[in-house]
Amino acid sequence: MAAPDMKIICVIPAWNEAKNIVKVINGVRPHVQEIVVVDDSSRDETGRLAAGAGATVLRHPINRGQGAALQTGNDYALKSAADIIVHFDGDDQFLAAEIPDMVAPLKEDRADIVFGSRFLGRPTNWPAIKRYVIMPLAKIFTRLVLGVKLSDPQNGFRALNRRAALAIRITNREMAHASEIQAKAFGARLRIAEVPVTVVYHEFGQKLSGGFQVLKDLLINKIINPPKAE
Amino acid sequence: MWQQILAGIIILFFIIRLYDQNKKKEITPNEFAIWLAFWLTAALAVIFIKQIDRLVAYLGFSGNGINFLIYLAVLALFYLVFRLRLSIAKLDRQLTELVRQITLGDKK
Repeated sequence: MAAPDMKIICVIPAWNEAKNIVKVINGVRPHVQEIVVVDDSSRDETGRLAAGAGATVLRHPINRGQGAALQTGNDYALKSAADIIVHFDGDDQFLAAEIPDMVAPLKEDRADIVFGSRFLGRPTNWPAIKRYVIMPLAKIFTRLVLGVKLSDPQNGFRALNRRAALAIRITNREMAHASEIQAKAFGARLRIAEVPVTVVYHEFGQKLSGGFQVLKDLLINKIINPPKAE
Repeated sequence: MWQQILAGIIILFFIIRLYDQNKKKEITPNEFAIWLAFWLTAALAVIFIKQIDRLVAYLGFSGNGINFLIYLAVLALFYLVFRLRLSIAKLDRQLTELVRQITLGDKK
């Protein structure tokens, strides 16, 4: 059953995103009740601009990475009685108009967590190395090592209900959190949905070295702290 | 023989240094005990290197005693690096949690 009065909080981790943050906030605003920008110790005006645009700004005193910023946002949203938490990037790669599609399965109680996917038909202007090298490797790794069966292994656009946000505590503070969240969602036996989303790459995006860094972080985290629901 | 004397002098230097650090309370009594045990073990290994040679041969290893000690040292180093990695990961996680609590506390 649809529940239109649900409180939706959008968490946007941001580090040196002064160029994009106001545009992103203005795009997201019509679709959520509150926008939380977690300023990960930016050296530019990200925090000030975000506050000026009407977002709640949480500032990390030192840079801790995107995964850490997301968990800070989750903690804040849970304390603020959010029913649904949307994770959205601050670099203007996602389309805010797709937020209603992302939260629909949660509002209708068909899922606990919804992952955006670039592989379900919507257009994406892929950098070649990402499409043909990083993504296939990431898919193989997440399927074989983490047991994740999803079409997109590294997408930052996702939506969670309270149950999911309480079940998943992000410990990978850098970019490997995307795969970690997926693995923990499967581990906690949450109801999972995938929704097609559009991604517009303004710059090169993640480099090959960044992809290997994610693999390394996931492996180390798996050895030190095996993925599990908390 | 002269190699054993040289090794003994080096070990003696480190033991004297260790006593000095302990006297100035630059290290804890536990650290002092662990490092003293380490250097004394090294001294014993140097003094009884021939017996270690025989032991290594008896155990079926092809190298001599000093090679065997180097293998053990490399293994110990790997283990120490692994322990350090765990310790750093734990500290890193605690730092992130501290940063989070400061951030959320500021917002109250």
